[in-house]
Amino acid sequence: MNEERIRTLLQKADEAADEPRFGPVTVGGIRAQARRRQLVRIGAPMAAAAMVLVGVTLWAICMQTGRPQPQPQQIVSLEEQVKQLQTQTDATLKLVREVLERDRQDRRLAALETELASIPDPVKEIGRQVDKTAFILVYQADKLYKELNQTDSAVRAYREVIQLFPTNQWADVARERLSQIEQRQINKSDRQKGAAKCEPRNA
Amino acid sequence: MSAMAKVTEEQALVERFRRGEDSAFDRIVEQHSAEIAALANRLLGWPGDVDDVVQEVFVAAFLGLKKFRGECRLRTWLFTITVNKCRSHRFRRLRRLRPATMEEAEAVESRDRSGDEAAMDQEAFVRVRRAVQMLPQKYREIVTLKYLQGSEASEICELLGITVNAMQVRLNRARKRLKEQLGDLLEEKS
Repeated sequence: MNEERIRTLLQKADEAADEPRFGPVTVGGIRAQARRRQLVRIGAPMAAAAMVLVGVTLWAICMQTGRPQPQPQQIVSLEEQVKQLQTQTDATLKLVREVLERDRQDRRLAALETELASIPDPVKEIGRQVDKTAFILVYQADKLYKELNQTDSAVRAYREVIQLFPTNQWADVARERLSQIEQRQINKSDRQKGAAKCEPRNA
Repeated sequence: MSAMAKVTEEQALVERFRRGEDSAFDRIVEQHSAEIAALANRLLGWPGDVDDVVQEVFVAAFLGLKKFRGECRLRTWLFTITVNKCRSHRFRRLRRLRPATMEEAEAVESRDRSGDEAAMDQEAFVRVRRAVQMLPQKYREIVTLKYLQGSEASEICELLGITVNAMQVRLNRARKRLKEQLGDLLEEKS
């Protein structure tokens, strides 16, 4: 019983929380990420190893000061080796930095694209709002005419719809309603005239 | 679809991926990404944005799927990766941030509550989520998997690598702690 209560409470709390958000996951993206990780995984130790090697070489050069002086050619070649190692280290570090930066940019771009996709098209949204407003006006006019018998107010509302949204589908509906009202009024006045003609005879 | 049919379909997908068909992995992502995101969201304390963890889980799955022996269900395997990734994610986050005090946590949560401060239910739910978040990792995982993710006992044991007895003990202790923290809410419900 207690367990059921805890379960219900937890589930309700979970439902009330925000839905988890995450970007699209594609094989291409995953493959690229895996490749980058592998590069970073290999690149970083390589750079570290190169640095250690440079250090060891420099240390070895320093230690040799007590021994007989090496030939100038040897020194030159060692210096060249050190320079080469340093260049390699710099290049590897630069590559790692570039890859990380590109990765960061890709992720940012993907996030922005997702955000952009979630924004509704403003033109469509305005069109929808216009449609909705026109519909509400026609609906209210219908109510005035059919339920409250306020023909004048209804006619004014229909005309307003035609004036404000002349090309909208609801303007066509308003025109139709106006013609129906006019037709009804003509029929009514005809009937009244007919009744007026009949009355003297009856009298 | 029956459980047996699901297992067969999963095996077929894994086999297709091994043969180099990328679409099989897309199908796996499509089938499981929502569940994985939900689990990560719960295990990390409902932060909302779980993109990093979901990506990490699928990268790990992509790299390890060829070695997947099919001894458990693919869902269980993915959940295991998710639990592990969430543990390391939480650990990294804890290491990066200085420990927040209770007052700070409350201040953050009151900012999160957008406007509708008077909603009592909302406040209670925030308390419940905080209580789950404050549980030690081993209890939080069990509670999340059992009550929120709806996993079977056997699946939880397989996923966390523990015995049924250990699971029951952890579950009882987690319930006890939750009762201590949320006693008033549980009484209200009854």
